[in-house]
Amino acid sequence: MTSKPPPANRQSTIDNRQPVTVDTQGRVFEVFHQQARGEPHVYVGSVHAPDAEMAILLAKEQYARRQACVNLWVVPAEAIVATPYENDDIFERATDKSYRESWGYKTPKTVRIEDTGGPTHA
Amino acid sequence: MPSFATLAEVSGVTRAAVIDLLYRLADDELIIGHRNSEWTGHAPILEADIAFSSMAQDEMGHAQVYYGMLHQLGEAEPDTLAFGRNARQFRCASLVSLPKNDWGFSVLRQFLYDAAETVRLNAYANSSLQPLAHLAVKLRGEEKYHLMHGRSWVLRLGDATPESHRIMQSALDRAYPYALGLFEPTEYDEVLAQTGISPREDDLRRQWESAVAPVLADAGLRIPDAATPVHGGRVGKHPDALKELLDQMQCVYNIDPMAKW
Repeated sequence: MTSKPPPANRQSTIDNRQPVTVDTQGRVFEVFHQQARGEPHVYVGSVHAPDAEMAILLAKEQYARRQACVNLWVVPAEAIVATPYENDDIFERATDKSYRESWGYKTPKTVRIEDTGGPTHA
Repeated sequence: MPSFATLAEVSGVTRAAVIDLLYRLADDELIIGHRNSEWTGHAPILEADIAFSSMAQDEMGHAQVYYGMLHQLGEAEPDTLAFGRNARQFRCASLVSLPKNDWGFSVLRQFLYDAAETVRLNAYANSSLQPLAHLAVKLRGEEKYHLMHGRSWVLRLGDATPESHRIMQSALDRAYPYALGLFEPTEYDEVLAQTGISPREDDLRRQWESAVAPVLADAGLRIPDAATPVHGGRVGKHPDALKELLDQMQCVYNIDPMAKW
């Protein structure tokens, strides 16, 4: 694989998601929002909170105030394992793989299941 | 037991009683909403700020609905009721008039207040006054969240550190007698109870006491012994803080009460 330098107009600190200032407001929880039962939970942003229960309560007003919502997930930010941006070349295609781009197929967005907030099967 | 399908069906002393009840409900909501909105831009963290401000808007929205019901009963327009009355004409309990104080006091007050509102709405869901019963059912979702929010803060701050415990205990010592005043009996208690519109204030107070006591105990907080309820708000006798609040809240309206917004 070949490695490519980041584009000159982008701050590497942002690419690496390094906080610009020191965060003193508690733990960070990532928030996932579900618009209707059976729909996928969609990532919407993060909240500061001392614990998960409080994160849910605060996330409700940050992210479920302006749009329909039936369920929220919060996940401690530190529980998320991410690919480092310096390895983003692993996503590059060395050869033509357009045959994988099966956009022509009709696929259902979700499989509807009897759902009480658990993960959906896409 | 009578049943009133519409506000128009209520007459005589019952009508006077319903008007008094709606003023109490509306004024409590408007003033707690205004007090909590004073945290906008000042809460400890951004998320808490947005949540508290959003709940303050909810309370003002509830006030607007109650004022709308009063207007249907022949009282003035909601804006006039909110911005055109002086402190003596307000019927809110003194708990909501008190200055916002520190964050501990404000979240504790919010908990005590929303626990009371939850007790009321649960009771009003079975009211013989059907417009009130329908409204109570509609407002319960928002109130459930408000109570979860207040409860969570009280449980965390009550015994987080010696300092947070001290602040919360002092907030409770100050707020509790005023919170009991949310259930100040009025001259209309009997007629409201007999018509099935609302339980007596004393009955609601007992339900509220059973609801808040276990949470306060879990938070490591001690309910002050023999607290004397602070009454007067329901007959227009308020702490000076209410006049100061109204002076600020109504100053723009009073520049030109006839202005169209």
